Amino acid sequence: MVKKRERLEVIKDILKSIREKRNIKPTRLIYASNLSPKMFKEYVDELTGKQFLKEEIDKDGKKTFSLTSKGQEFLEQYRVIENFIENFGL
Amino acid sequence: MPIYKAIIENKEIVKIIYALIIVFICFLITLKAHRLFRLSFHSGIRYFRNAFFFYGLGFAARYFLKFISADYFLINPLFEFFLVMAGFFLLYSLLWKRIDSHNPRSSLLNRRIGIFYLMAIIIILLDYVWNVPYFMYSAQIIIFLFASIISYSNYKKDNYKNKFSRFYFIAMVLGLFAWILNALAAVFFSWNQMVLINIYLLNAIFFLLFLYGVVKVTKT
Repeated sequence: MVKKRERLEVIKDILKSIREKRNIKPTRLIYASNLSPKMFKEYVDELTGKQFLKEEIDKDGKKTFSLTSKGQEFLEQYRVIENFIENFGL
Repeated sequence: MPIYKAIIENKEIVKIIYALIIVFICFLITLKAHRLFRLSFHSGIRYFRNAFFFYGLGFAARYFLKFISADYFLINPLFEFFLVMAGFFLLYSLLWKRIDSHNPRSSLLNRRIGIFYLMAIIIILLDYVWNVPYFMYSAQIIIFLFASIISYSNYKKDNYKNKFSRFYFIAMVLGLFAWILNALAAVFFSWNQMVLINIYLLNAIFFLLFLYGVVKVTKT
């Protein structure tokens, strides 16, 4: 059985996809993050609310996502956060 | 021993230096854990941060409030309250995943933490009424006993290979030992000064171990 991804891992995958593709469209991000549309919406709403990513409109009038500095910081610190949780048994 | 004699002769200064060191360590751990919580919103990190925040408050209340207020009946209950809450938060940081998977809006004011506040207040009231610290000691011994068992099971889960799990387990056992020694000092040794110095030493090692772990993990 495939291990369920932890919440932090899902967030990392979403933010990493945005960083790699830059202004990524929602359909491509759903595909890249490997989530159901319902779960995807929940995560995106949470990450937008916490200012990890922002929604933008491109020149064709389509919605795209881009990373904020806080989202960037999360990706840089992800390994530290993961180690902290693991090592202190949190 | 001359070192014990020197400490006993200068105990007031030693106490202040000891408190300053502990409060400073707690401040550093709280700050570093808060920085990671602000990015991850992880409940375990949050409760861990709260534990050291409350330890810091406890030691600050015990050793520095007396410069403002000499009222023992105010300082001691405050010290006990913060210390018991810190113990609860530390234990809950290890347990929360097994009990509660949702992330409450506030880690200081929610229903589950409310139970801890209530228990801490009851413990303090009982100690206050009987004018003894035994209820707090019993609570701390139980908390650290559970924390030691959980940290040992985490260490075992990592096949005894994770250095940090071992450190964590050792820190918890030291904490447990320090509280047992505290209780023994109160009941059997009439607060013997040499026993108290050893308790201070154990406490300092406990906090230094945590600081070492936190600095090592957060160093990038």
